[in-house]
Amino acid sequence: MSLQPFQQSNALSVGVELELQLINLSDFDLSASSPDLLHLLGKRPFPGNVTPEITESMIEICTDVQSNYTGVLTQLQEIRNALVQAADTLNIGICGGGTHPFQRWTDRKIFSKERFEQVSALYGYLAKQFTVFGQHIHIGCSSSNDALFLLHSLSRYVPHFIALSASSPYVQGGDTLFHSARLNSVFAFPLSGRAPFLLNWHDFANDYFVKMEKTGVIKTMKDFYWDIRPKPEYGTIELRICDTPLTVERSAALAAYLQILCAYLLEKNEPAPLEDDYLVYNYNRFQACRFGLDGSIVHPKTYESRSLREDILATLSTIAPFAESLGALPALTHLYKATEADTDAYYLRQQYDESGSVEGMVNAAIARFRKGILVQAYASS
Amino acid sequence: MTIFSININTPEFAWSFTIAMAWIIGEFGHRFTKLPRISFYALVGFLAANSHYEFLSYLEEDALLLPANIAFGLILFEFGYHINLRWLKCNPWIGVTGLVEVIATFIAVYALTQWYGTSTFISLSLAALGMATSPAGILRVINEQRSSGQVTERIFHLSAFNCVLATITFNVIVAFWVSQGSEDIFHAPVDSAIMLVTSMALGVVFGIVLPIMLRQLGNLAQDATIAFALSVILLVAIAHAAKLSPILTALLFGLTARHRRVTLGHAKRNFGALGDLLTVLLFVFVASTMEWQRVVAGASLGLALLAVRFGVKTLTTVVFAPVSGITLRKGLLTGVGLAPISVFIVLTLAQARYSGIALLYELSALDALVAMALTLEILGPVFTQVALSLAHENQERG
Repeated sequence: MSLQPFQQSNALSVGVELELQLINLSDFDLSASSPDLLHLLGKRPFPGNVTPEITESMIEICTDVQSNYTGVLTQLQEIRNALVQAADTLNIGICGGGTHPFQRWTDRKIFSKERFEQVSALYGYLAKQFTVFGQHIHIGCSSSNDALFLLHSLSRYVPHFIALSASSPYVQGGDTLFHSARLNSVFAFPLSGRAPFLLNWHDFANDYFVKMEKTGVIKTMKDFYWDIRPKPEYGTIELRICDTPLTVERSAALAAYLQILCAYLLEKNEPAPLEDDYLVYNYNRFQACRFGLDGSIVHPKTYESRSLREDILATLSTIAPFAESLGALPALTHLYKATEADTDAYYLRQQYDESGSVEGMVNAAIARFRKGILVQAYASS
Repeated sequence: MTIFSININTPEFAWSFTIAMAWIIGEFGHRFTKLPRISFYALVGFLAANSHYEFLSYLEEDALLLPANIAFGLILFEFGYHINLRWLKCNPWIGVTGLVEVIATFIAVYALTQWYGTSTFISLSLAALGMATSPAGILRVINEQRSSGQVTERIFHLSAFNCVLATITFNVIVAFWVSQGSEDIFHAPVDSAIMLVTSMALGVVFGIVLPIMLRQLGNLAQDATIAFALSVILLVAIAHAAKLSPILTALLFGLTARHRRVTLGHAKRNFGALGDLLTVLLFVFVASTMEWQRVVAGASLGLALLAVRFGVKTLTTVVFAPVSGITLRKGLLTGVGLAPISVFIVLTLAQARYSGIALLYELSALDALVAMALTLEILGPVFTQVALSLAHENQERG
């Protein structure tokens, strides 16, 4: 079966997927509660879409296709409110964060669904230790070649998204010293990393994909765990490297940041992407994962070294006019503040220090996920 | 004179040997049948006590009551720790289910025993005891299966709810009955009320003071388990000495500690090896108090009681399943999971007798109660395990 044709979609339309943690409120470990939660959510209309994930202690939610930041933010907040209400009814905690700080992968249960069981059989423990939680952002592309152009042009900005979403400092009960340790779990898969440098869809579909299919290694696009991958059936590119932030407000701001960057890149404001851009890709990616906003990255064209925080602030300022035309200035304000306040990973470490336990850290993550509800209620009163 | 001699006719030997055998049989039995270990402990205790040689009969009555109460206390603390009062506020239907289930069980058991011809006092006491679900059987099975989900959560909360209400109702009934005919009819009920309130207050005080102390020490995650275990032991010893209710104190201690936000480390479920060891003793002890002849004599009413209690609890949880947010199937399985009762009954009666209430000899000698307690001590945990398994809430193996 060859790769399906690339569907056209509205340029710069946005969709967000979030993988969320389901928590037992007694011991703060992950709780295999997704079947119960999905049953309850199925009883009334849900302001988006909610689906099971590979293990029963996580769920995935996604927004409809949105055209702007306000649409994404409003729907994510509605989804968050519906989830929190249902979780309250069932005595489940729900939170963001790229990893659960102390879950043991041996305790995880694979959700009963054919594809998940196949993945589990193929990858063994990798499938269960893949109980990590990410945010995926889709950006609509009016053509397949635009999709590949954006995919490679964005490679330079991948560390921005890693640092701004980083929320996975602890794994299996210990401090990893990483801001985003989640991506280390993703690296373990053989088909992870960057997409091959092809800018023409015809070459991608008929040459690369067909060859890979013939090798028997892959069957569909889903078998690639790339940081950014095209999604031909939706007519989008999908950025997959973000940890799920602790709040939906941060998620919406990240989605808007990607949308604005794509608008900026489509205007050809930057030199065209090259294969050599990837020389520094893994190094920059590591810096973002390990040190967050304090990481030091190398510019792929100029080889100039600067801190990620500086690079993000410079980019925010460059793309501000595009943000204005897309009605997304509040998202940039949110991100400015985020660079000052440091990452969610930093916040989680602080919570560990204050509460003295990893359980206290999870409790704080649950409270932070809910916090937006109170802020919203206050704002509307 | 022989250099080596062994006297096996001592209570120390008999109990040590039985507990060791119970553990071994529990491990092998669990491995081969996948049934709960505690069912095997109970079976061994019952057989050892009822064997031809009356192997376990050397020990004085009540000698094991304190260690058994400590074992139950550790379980109740952990049980109380799982109870989230905020949930009852967010989902009031959980509380409604609990209340209706308790009242309906009381009425059904009372009606059945009256129809059977038992005295009013016995009927009322049985009705009060029948309300409860024993946390011991439930917690052990849930931890053994490492289950999580709505059936697990609801069994926890409904069981804690019905245990507290059963303890209070039972003590109130006994107090009023004792005071009948005496000159000061308020004396016994007031004493009973003071006992119940003091028991709960003691648990709450421990639940407040200990977390404060642990915070002063710092590093909650590492030091909490041993501190809580020692506190439960001390608390039960105080309750025992002051003739308070160890059930209420330990449960309230756990509940308060949870709401003071002290987290019990993930690895310390069941209080580790200490909890495991005392559980063997607890289940062997409880089953050893039951006599075979009584089980046979009380079989018909005992099984009828068991069926009525089972039916009412299951019906209630099914009826309230949809409004409280779960499927009818999970509602049904919650009711099935609420079957265990024995440790609660046996220890409540032993404690009441120990407190010197002579009336209760009649009740604890009731054949039907013994028959129900034995049946459910062995089968109750199996019911809970089957319920969790059918609800797909137990841990996948392999």
